[in-house]
Amino acid sequence: MTTSHPPAFTLTVDVQPGTVVVHVAGDLDHETCDELTKAVDRNLAGLRGPEGQPLELRLDFAGLDSIDSMGLAALLMVRRRTDAMGVRLHLDRRTRGLDRLLEITGTLEHLTAPRDENGGAYGPEAGRAGAGPGGPPG
Amino acid sequence: MLVDISQQPSAGPRGAGAGATWGSAPCPVVVADPSGGVVGTNAAAAVLFPDATAGTWLRDVVPAWIADAHARLRGIVPAPRTAGPGPGTIVHGTVGDRTFEAHPTPTGDGDVMWWLLDDTDRRLAEDALRTERERAAFLAGASSALLSSLNLERCMEVTAELAAQHLADAAVIVAPPRGRKVRLTFCGPDGEVVHRTVQDDVRHLPGLAEALRGFPPVPSRWIDPAAVPAWAVPEGFTGPVGSAVVTPLPGHGVPAGALILLRSGRHTAFTESEEIFARLFASRAGAAMSAARMYAEQAAITATLMRELLPPRLHAVHGVEFAGRYRPAGMAERVGGDFYDVHPAAEEGQETLVVLGDVCGKGLEAAVLTGKIRNTVQALLPLAEDHQRLLGLLNGALMNSHHTRFATLAMASVVRRAGVVRLRVTSAGHPAPLIVRADGTVEQARTRGTLIGAFWDVSSTTAQVELAPGETCLFFTDGITEARGGPLGDEYFGLPRLESALARCAGMPAEAVVEHVQMLAAQWVGRGGHDDMATVAVTAPHHAHLSAVNGHTRGRYTA
Repeated sequence: MTTSHPPAFTLTVDVQPGTVVVHVAGDLDHETCDELTKAVDRNLAGLRGPEGQPLELRLDFAGLDSIDSMGLAALLMVRRRTDAMGVRLHLDRRTRGLDRLLEITGTLEHLTAPRDENGGAYGPEAGRAGAGPGGPPG
Repeated sequence: MLVDISQQPSAGPRGAGAGATWGSAPCPVVVADPSGGVVGTNAAAAVLFPDATAGTWLRDVVPAWIADAHARLRGIVPAPRTAGPGPGTIVHGTVGDRTFEAHPTPTGDGDVMWWLLDDTDRRLAEDALRTERERAAFLAGASSALLSSLNLERCMEVTAELAAQHLADAAVIVAPPRGRKVRLTFCGPDGEVVHRTVQDDVRHLPGLAEALRGFPPVPSRWIDPAAVPAWAVPEGFTGPVGSAVVTPLPGHGVPAGALILLRSGRHTAFTESEEIFARLFASRAGAAMSAARMYAEQAAITATLMRELLPPRLHAVHGVEFAGRYRPAGMAERVGGDFYDVHPAAEEGQETLVVLGDVCGKGLEAAVLTGKIRNTVQALLPLAEDHQRLLGLLNGALMNSHHTRFATLAMASVVRRAGVVRLRVTSAGHPAPLIVRADGTVEQARTRGTLIGAFWDVSSTTAQVELAPGETCLFFTDGITEARGGPLGDEYFGLPRLESALARCAGMPAEAVVEHVQMLAAQWVGRGGHDDMATVAVTAPHHAHLSAVNGHTRGRYTA
């Protein structure tokens, strides 16, 4: 029984030269996660910035109410897209709940690391050569 | 008799009353005296009643219903048999193939003028409207009767019943044949529904094979009644088949069967509008039947998956207690994203592997991924010595470039040596298992790692845990900690509540621990919705039976 209405899920997109900021508010879950990936796809497609400066996608979670595993899957998908397009991903103003989820699932570093330091280990093509399965972590 | 008043020349009225205004009235007017003699007619009436000339008796020249009304009006007929229309009231009746309203108007000299208004078209329109209303009501009723059941057999029964009641004397539903067997559902004039399976070639009934193929859609087809084979006629059907129609029952993309309507020789054949109506009914019945069939198939698939994917019953292995509880999110999706397995060691002294996991998402896709993980882990059992290697291989097997559906899992290799249960616990992006000590303190296993199925490189750390007798290591999914409920209905159960619940489980057997935790979480949620909840307890028993096989058989006691 849900006595209180959950806040509506909203995405507010703010496009600046070279940077897209998506303000995520409400519950990012199995019902709403597709909206986020679609919004990111839509807005990254035509992103242009000043010459020589890296493009950025900032997800602002100040208004986030809760996130479930499908919401996390959407973030992982967003990271794949930004890696493929050479866009830097920032997860800004993370809530405690989001941080806890990223920590437990071991995804915090992967999602927030600058792209270069990861050596493109997120793409299946790059991954096969670099990080073969089976190797215990150093 | 057809009367076209508009084309009549406006001749003057005959007999008395000539020159009066009614003489040129477009509607037929008949004037009669109190004794029932015709005084005069206008031109329109002369066409309608050619014999009605002045001086004839009304009763001889106009239909009885007008003469009777006239008689009642003047009280000539002594006592009307029925409480018919009183004086001055309007009467209805037919003249030839048209219907009229007759309005009586008294004249100054005691005669009665009968004004006849043709209401044939209005009546026809009213009849058509009533028929349409009845049909619409019938279709609405049929729809709700059909859609209230997802049982295919019941749908076929309802269809046969409704068709036999409203469309024909008897109805036969032919299900899409499987091989040479044809399943039939009969309903005869007595309203009794009979199922029967016959072995026959459907091509013996003309039009049936086409109707059963369903695509391209074929119209209902008239059949020579003599061509209807005996198997298609219900037992209670009296007399020879007078007329028959075969109508396809269109389903969702696939034909749902065919409807055969039969009328006995006494009844008229099907009119065109009846046939169209039968088709409308058939389309609704077909939709309902195919929905029922799809539901049955879906239910069968779910049942098959459930058998394969439902968590196993756990029991003690080599002196270590294992107990598991699983509460799926909802009855609609009995196969959820949580799973657990215990892979017992072949021999005592070797490690038993326990795995509990949570697959992202719900429903069929999650179930498929769950099955994949469980099978892969089973195949990788020989490598369970090295958790990182096993997780790396499992991760590689799950990687998919199309989506980022992932799984989190916690696993432990468990062995009991000298009364102490040792666990090597590894979390792959999963909440760390909780350990309840004999004194009631609760601690987290110090393990963490990357979830699997999303990144090409995964890493994890493994914690060494020892359980003294009475101590338990609890594996759980976030369905427990993220169960929303409580007094306000939207608060998480949370890790602190789980820890304090577990603190009271010190010394309990594994079965009691999982039962207690699941019960508290279920109470917290109340009647609200929740995610899958799974728990597995690994407990070092106070006094363990040692046995060679599975702990079920009696063994010797150890301290």
